[in-house]
Amino acid sequence: MRPNMGTKSSARPPVAPSTISGRQKSALADALFTATQQRVLSLLFGQPDREFFVTEIIALARAGRGAVQRELVKLSQSGHAVVSEIGNRKYYQANRESPLFEEICSIVRKTLGVEESIRNACAPLSGSLSLVLLYGSIVRGTETAASDIDLLLVSDDLTLEAVYSALSPAEKSLGRRINPTLYTSSEFRQRRVSKSGFLTRVLEGAHALIAGSLDGA
Amino acid sequence: MRTPSLLAASMARENLDNLVKTGALKIEAATPEEISALIRSGVNRLADAKNPSLSLESRFDLAYNAAHALSLAALRNLGYRAEKRHLVFQSLRHTLNLPNEKWRVLDHAHRSRNIWEYEGGIDVDEALVEALIRTTEEIAARVERI
Repeated sequence: MRPNMGTKSSARPPVAPSTISGRQKSALADALFTATQQRVLSLLFGQPDREFFVTEIIALARAGRGAVQRELVKLSQSGHAVVSEIGNRKYYQANRESPLFEEICSIVRKTLGVEESIRNACAPLSGSLSLVLLYGSIVRGTETAASDIDLLLVSDDLTLEAVYSALSPAEKSLGRRINPTLYTSSEFRQRRVSKSGFLTRVLEGAHALIAGSLDGA
Repeated sequence: MRTPSLLAASMARENLDNLVKTGALKIEAATPEEISALIRSGVNRLADAKNPSLSLESRFDLAYNAAHALSLAALRNLGYRAEKRHLVFQSLRHTLNLPNEKWRVLDHAHRSRNIWEYEGGIDVDEALVEALIRTTEEIAARVERI
């Protein structure tokens, strides 16, 4: 494609049909972090309760030893991560005392973790979905290794089986079960108005909008 | 082609026998009368579950119990028994080679039912009841071929 030398293109580039709200996979993270930073951050801040040995981070990040170690030193020197030593083994963990702890967890979740995986998994169904909402312990930040991912979807033509099939790769990559609840738009509106127990609890609790909007559902 | 289905059948046996070793299933021969009674009960409840004049809750209960009766028929037909309902559903991968997304529907229904019984309330949605009916139809079609 030729560069258009600063002239405004008459036709707007079409939004890629395979992505909800036109966002490409991990483009959000690419703008902020290098590939190695993304991998290190997604490990430490994607599982903030876990301590990682350096060798483990190098293996999981699938990056060079030197590059990973440079990131770990920066993170520990800036106070974003804590480093401990047992014998001659060093291990790293996200530092809850860092003033940016919540924000980094949130960025990781939105760009590299659960939210991004679910956004990508739902992308092929985007034409049929008017709302995708994440709720439960993952959003509250109280999840354990065994926690499921709770998802509310609104669609007038999708079946639950199609939703399970679409989410299956995300379940594998995240290593967590996803529990979808699927409403038709009339069910959703009705339950929102009637303050049905379950939906009211979801909307009053912590939740994250993955796609669509509450009022457009 | 006989060989692949024979291979699949022997793999199913092996998987079910492994579940016997873990204590999830027990071996117990069934009579043809028992199996046909389970199928009849399942097919009748499934037909009632499709009745649109019933409440969504009742249709859910009927479809759920139909799925259980038909899944149990498939398991009993191979000479196994399970004490727990979710184990009967779990065995469907081996007894009827049920695709994963259909099994997830049953798992979803089973969990929802437990949560409702535990919390005392019931909050059924159309998507779950319809998926449960479709899944139970699939089980019925597969059971009728055994």
